[in-house]
Amino acid sequence: MSLRVLIVDDEPPARERLRSMVAEAGEFEVAGEAGNGEQAIDMVDRLAPDIVLLDVRMPGIDGLEVARHLAALAAPPAVIFTTAFDEYALQAFDSEAVAYLLKPIRAEKLRAALAKAERLSRLQLQEVATATKTAAHRLHIGVRGRDGLKLIPIEDVYCFQADQKYTTVRHQKGEDLIEDSLKTLEEEFAAHFVRIHRNALVNTKYLERIARDASGQHFVHLRGMSDALEVSRRMAGDLKDRFRI
Amino acid sequence: MSRPPQPPAVAGEETRRHYLPNFCAASTVLTIVIICEVTALLLALARNEAALGFWSDLGMTSIFLLWIALCGAGLLCLMRDYLSRQSVAVSAAMVLTMTVTLVMVVSTITHYLASGFLIENAHWSFLGRNAGITFVVTALALRYFYVTHEWRHNVGLQAKARVHALQARIRPHFLFNSMNTIAALTRSNPARAEEAVLDLAELFRANLNEKRNQIALSEEISVARTYQRMEQLRLGDRLRVDWKVDSLPSDALVPGLTLQPLLENAIYHGVEPRQDGGVVTVTGEFNKGMITIVVRNPLPAANLTMRDGNRLALANIKERLDLMYGERATVKAGRFDEEYIVTLRFPFTAVAAGT
Repeated sequence: MSLRVLIVDDEPPARERLRSMVAEAGEFEVAGEAGNGEQAIDMVDRLAPDIVLLDVRMPGIDGLEVARHLAALAAPPAVIFTTAFDEYALQAFDSEAVAYLLKPIRAEKLRAALAKAERLSRLQLQEVATATKTAAHRLHIGVRGRDGLKLIPIEDVYCFQADQKYTTVRHQKGEDLIEDSLKTLEEEFAAHFVRIHRNALVNTKYLERIARDASGQHFVHLRGMSDALEVSRRMAGDLKDRFRI
Repeated sequence: MSRPPQPPAVAGEETRRHYLPNFCAASTVLTIVIICEVTALLLALARNEAALGFWSDLGMTSIFLLWIALCGAGLLCLMRDYLSRQSVAVSAAMVLTMTVTLVMVVSTITHYLASGFLIENAHWSFLGRNAGITFVVTALALRYFYVTHEWRHNVGLQAKARVHALQARIRPHFLFNSMNTIAALTRSNPARAEEAVLDLAELFRANLNEKRNQIALSEEISVARTYQRMEQLRLGDRLRVDWKVDSLPSDALVPGLTLQPLLENAIYHGVEPRQDGGVVTVTGEFNKGMITIVVRNPLPAANLTMRDGNRLALANIKERLDLMYGERATVKAGRFDEEYIVTLRFPFTAVAAGT
């Protein structure tokens, strides 16, 4: 069975060249082409390719951000970065991909990278994905709805709330259901979010004040959100000290 | 790799100019008159000649000094070519000797004419003091001319160094992406690939040529259009450039790489980071001897990281226009609503024939 490759690049000639090179590389099949980051995340969702050839520098959602979204998937594809030139060291994101290729790409280098991706087991791919997640958090939360992918900038998110099965993300433009667990979100966004309760993670940027009701239960008020969120007894003192609210 | 033989240096640009100003020029004569008046004022203030009164003393001293200074300027004007061939020390010594001698001659004549009623001092004392004062003032003036000249020269050198820095500054990103585009076209459209190679060669020639400090505006526009063609291949219909430059005089003199870096910035900062691209507008106007070129581009969508490195090119273009046109050239840049607008304004000077 041939492996399916998704090509992501904002420049048509670059995609065209990769398409013909992948076709010539042997047992690989081009599953599709995406012209920007959003399209790429959406197409990975729909087409479930084995390998993604991902341009680092793209308008809007760039390649690094796309890789972070793919790393959050249950079965992440193998990511191979392609780039013409980058001021920031390529080695910095070397660990976040199976390989990286410099444009213009040589056919034998492409073949070697594809072969490497083919050899990697699911487990090894998971390791790369974990490295990607620890290296940097996503800048957007992806919501997969009926009309495709929606990206919510992380700075617009007030909080994540969990119930039995799903996690709700509450943000400036409403709320959405996502599949990420509160635990992974807490790990990923530790720099900007704080756990206030077993079932809630809030953006520290919006913290306003902590109040207590008659029964002694603590609540936290967030700027821009009308209702208050329950705070566990253990977290209340900690929150007050850390954020002076 | 060997370099082609360099043509002889352009006079006035490459040869270092002499520190002595042009004494035939009105502006220099004015400087000399001011130096004389300041000296006269100092002398009148220092002296206490009750017999004459301050204003009369100042007047007489001024007339005396101006006579000497204007004769001296005339002589220096005549000797200009000869002096400019001498070293700094030799020419300074010659100017000092000449002015002191001139002062002695004029002093002697004055003493002869006015002895007894204006000048009480003995002939030799009068002569000696005048020679001493002249020596000090002339030496100070020479030092002033020398320091001013050095300063101007350094400013020029720095500007030239920046031109070279700018020329070496083709964005690597652009180079490798272009190569990638050409690699793709070589398979699918060899004719277009050939065009792209020619365009890229032309751009590099423009960037590497050191003799392109002063070129015709039409040439600069052609380089900018070549750059656009290259980016067009890569960005496709995401990039549109609206040229409105028909009213510009094609023979206007501009420093090389004036417009192309502005277009490059507009595409790099304004069009490339936008998913659906944008339109860059280049507008040229020619009115009352002044040329105005406006480059405008849309801004990338909010909360996307702004790419940096824009200021450097702008400051560089401003310096080179300043060097060519002085204060009459202006460069303005800023955000206006949804756009980033850069405006260049400079006087029209026709490019010399044959350059």
